[in-house]
Amino acid sequence: MNIYLPIAEMSVNVAVFLSMGCAVGFLSGMFGVGGGFLLTPLLIFMGVPTAVSVGTGSMQILASSVSGAIAQYRRRNVDIKMGLVLVAGGVVGAAIGVGLVRILRQIGQFDLFVSLSYVLFLGAVGGLMMIESVGAIRRARSGKAVTARKTGQHSWVHGLPFKMRFKRSKLYISALPPAAIGAFVGFLAAVMGVGGGFVMVPAMIYLLRVPTSVVIGTSLFQIVFVMGVTTLLQAMQNKTVDVVLAILLIVGGVIGAQLGVIAGARLKGEQLRFLLAALVLLVCLRIGWELIVRPGEIYSIGPLLGGI
Amino acid sequence: MAPIAAGRTDRRLTVAACAAVLLVLPHAVLGQGFQRTLPPVQMGPRQPPVAQPPQDPVETVEADVSTRSVEVTTGFTGHEILVFGAIDNSQQPESRGQDQSGSSYYDVVVVVEGTPYPVVVRRKSDVAGVWINTSSVLFASVPSYYAIASTRPIDQIAGPGVLERNSIGFAHIKMTPGGGIKWKLSDYELSGFRAAVIRLKQAEHLYVVEAKDGVTFTGRSLFRSTIALPANVPVGPLVARTYLFRNGEVLSAHIARVTLERKGIERVLHDFAFRYPFTYGMIAVILAALAGLLGTAFFRREVA
Repeated sequence: MNIYLPIAEMSVNVAVFLSMGCAVGFLSGMFGVGGGFLLTPLLIFMGVPTAVSVGTGSMQILASSVSGAIAQYRRRNVDIKMGLVLVAGGVVGAAIGVGLVRILRQIGQFDLFVSLSYVLFLGAVGGLMMIESVGAIRRARSGKAVTARKTGQHSWVHGLPFKMRFKRSKLYISALPPAAIGAFVGFLAAVMGVGGGFVMVPAMIYLLRVPTSVVIGTSLFQIVFVMGVTTLLQAMQNKTVDVVLAILLIVGGVIGAQLGVIAGARLKGEQLRFLLAALVLLVCLRIGWELIVRPGEIYSIGPLLGGI
Repeated sequence: MAPIAAGRTDRRLTVAACAAVLLVLPHAVLGQGFQRTLPPVQMGPRQPPVAQPPQDPVETVEADVSTRSVEVTTGFTGHEILVFGAIDNSQQPESRGQDQSGSSYYDVVVVVEGTPYPVVVRRKSDVAGVWINTSSVLFASVPSYYAIASTRPIDQIAGPGVLERNSIGFAHIKMTPGGGIKWKLSDYELSGFRAAVIRLKQAEHLYVVEAKDGVTFTGRSLFRSTIALPANVPVGPLVARTYLFRNGEVLSAHIARVTLERKGIERVLHDFAFRYPFTYGMIAVILAALAGLLGTAFFRREVA
């Protein structure tokens, strides 16, 4: 059965897009990630215009993280104050990102920008995760104890003004670094169609030294609100949110995520991280390859978007 | 011979019969209008129907489209439209088929064209190992859709001059480069961009040459042609131009229009998204949040 996507303006097979949502949902359920970094490239690969893939992606991420965020909130794993600072930064970053999308589309460099961003971030995050997980697997095999994180270490972060007390995170730090992290993540969300958890979680752990227990909940809190704002802004400024496409992906994603959680429970943490790293690097290489190999068609056509 | 029976018989007989009536009826009753509709007749004894008239009447083509309005709904998977028509005063021999030279007496070309719209064409080049859009051309008006069907390949029907004047064939699609070209492109470069539009549109099945025998004759004056609109045909009015050719010259042309409109929920959503972007965005946000909550709630119950 085919369905016509009103914003992407294309007729697509319902079964194909449902199973795509399902597959991405499975992986995100298994690895505990948002899956935006898989979904957006997959949509582009399926012929959905890049801007629509990115815009619709934020709607799908909102749907897939909202229930997780509520569950974390009930378990009191959300630092609301920290979350609000991250959201405030995120909204600013998203607004800048959505504006940049508009300009880049007009000058015809949006696809390139998205591809380069993906290669850069997926390469860096996937590479680091790969090194870390391989080390963890080796240590687990050799039987050495995993060294605990040293607390009380001070870094340059602690010298900044506007200090705030984040009770649940047990931190007394400047509001600027979390706001900056939030802004950066919001920007990535708008231009790449990702939740940005893969940047936010390591940044919160290693830069802000937020306790691991509240990191996931707080980042989900930020993702829900920033994705909501991003969806709204993309719909208003770029008109690239396809509700029909999003519903297909959400329905598939919800089903897939349930199965993924079950599959993920059977694997060890470092094994999961290794597999996730491999997946991230594969997506990175796939996009990178497209950039450097001579394309079969060097011309492309597009509508006029207020200038060339 | 009664005038009523004349309708079924040959035209010449009708004329002769009417002429006979004219002689007996008072002039005032018939009026001038009636006389003017009659072709010039030779008065006198009835002529056999096989005789050639002194001057060939001018052939004209009339055509129409089976569907005046096509609705693009959420489940739209394409639509086949039938362009049909007739040649008035056809002199095509009854048992036509293909004659010795393989050509027919008349040639008919049907062109279905979508609404012209501005198109930006971009060209990538290798910049330090990465393929980047480096130059672009704006064509102010390019048909969104272009399908052509004909009795024979068009280059056998007429010369490039005639085809160019009527914009028949991919090579003669009207594409005017618009403003905004940052530097002067040579004709050669421009033709590369032009060719790219045609190639990419063909790849999307939006520029189509209907297969051989795109237009077929039924009898001596009726013809038909089916044009398959693909699922991705851009909405907007379509113009179906029908040309009648004889010996490489256009004898007559006819234009019919088809409206291609978004209908149903699909149209509502598209219009809504563009007219009320804020409300649409809010609905998208609420919908996503609800869908996420409902989905997990549903599965939790299933699992528990």
